[in-house]
Amino acid sequence: MNQKSIFNFSTLVVVAIGIGAALYGFLGFFGFTVGPQTWVKPAIAFLTIFGALFGPIVGLLIGLIGHVITDLISGGIVWWGWAFGSALIGLFSGFVFMNKDFNVKAGSYAKKHIYQILIYGLIGCIVGIGEATLFDIFIMGEPVDKMAVQFWGAVLANIATVTVLGLPIVLAILRVNKKSSNLTIEK
Amino acid sequence: MSKMGTLYAPGNSIFHRMDGSVKMLLFAAWTIATFLFLDLRVFVVMLLVGLGLLLSAKIPFRRIRVIFWVMIVFNVFNTAFILLITPTYGSELTGTSTPVLNIGYNTINLETLFYVLTLTTKYITLLPISLLFIFTTHPSQFASSLNRIGIPYKIAYAVNIAFRYIPDIQSEFRSITNSMQMRGIGFRKGDAPFIQRVKNVTSIAFPMLYSSLQRIEVVSNAMELRGFGKHRRRTWYHMEKYQGIDYLVGTLSILLIAGSIWMKVSVLKGFWYPL
Repeated sequence: MNQKSIFNFSTLVVVAIGIGAALYGFLGFFGFTVGPQTWVKPAIAFLTIFGALFGPIVGLLIGLIGHVITDLISGGIVWWGWAFGSALIGLFSGFVFMNKDFNVKAGSYAKKHIYQILIYGLIGCIVGIGEATLFDIFIMGEPVDKMAVQFWGAVLANIATVTVLGLPIVLAILRVNKKSSNLTIEK
Repeated sequence: MSKMGTLYAPGNSIFHRMDGSVKMLLFAAWTIATFLFLDLRVFVVMLLVGLGLLLSAKIPFRRIRVIFWVMIVFNVFNTAFILLITPTYGSELTGTSTPVLNIGYNTINLETLFYVLTLTTKYITLLPISLLFIFTTHPSQFASSLNRIGIPYKIAYAVNIAFRYIPDIQSEFRSITNSMQMRGIGFRKGDAPFIQRVKNVTSIAFPMLYSSLQRIEVVSNAMELRGFGKHRRRTWYHMEKYQGIDYLVGTLSILLIAGSIWMKVSVLKGFWYPL
């Protein structure tokens, strides 16, 4: 079970996408308002976690499917711009997985990977929410100034969630897994 | 909330009999057509047609009442924010300005009010077909429909798993919060100070994650034992042959896409303002 390729759609990956999307979709209901039409969604942290565990493609699909599920069940309308935004955040949070020496299951990581999780999380939030903002301006026809307020609100809220919730959980899993894999062969 | 994930309302309307993939195509065509325009006339026509179709499906109103309320609340807030942040945005689209209401730092004008009305109608226009789609498509038919419109079956199956496991995750969530509350960890207002409550809420994440990771192991092992993913293609229990109505609605959907692109390019180019 040691696949590191991102395009390897094993059964495990299929199930991970499904259950991850259910988790992200369900937890997407919970949040609190921070600005005009802008929520802090603690669920975003799960994109960071599943990205680190299973890679960028899984992150992308969990973001997309999960967001569409939240939208369909809660409001009846799919906000495609924001759904693709979630997908992009998931994609970026999976890039750390592609390091050969980073493995959550074995608990192996270095300090640079922590910075990578943060930096990719930051870029992901800016790119993903930037995409959603542009989509709302050009496709939906929302005013630019209003969307700018939404953009900054959403970016700051999501970066805070990734830093305060996503990263600590990934680190905690790494430490737990490290403890159970530090056996050495006696010679 | 107990019925979450299974919004399907059984019935025998034309939409219940229609194939899921055709409904998906109609949904996509409707969404694209709405996205293209910013023109109240188009939206009013589409909204009336959509509401007619929704009524014909005979979905019990109490099932969709909540969604209507969510939509109304969303639009009220959206309108308020647009009017407060950009009270003169309508003038940028029309080039004219007819002041209506002074709000201190700026004046809301008639053009903006008309623009907000158009935008709200645009959002509401998306609702009927979306509701038709979720309430008349059986969740098991959903995966085969996705596969039929060209999505690889492994991804279609992942979507299926997602829908199927929402109720399980919901009950997992409930039992975790209950057991934490029994140990004196408060989640509600008044149980603890705000910061402590935020910490308490985030502490749910860990057990949720671990139970999900365990579930992933169990389910994927079970699927692997049954030979999932061995072949390049798979068949679906819920897949049916296309009927006459499916071909008809499929053709109409493609015509809707083509027609709306033609309209956008040649007739109704921008924002419509009659006054």
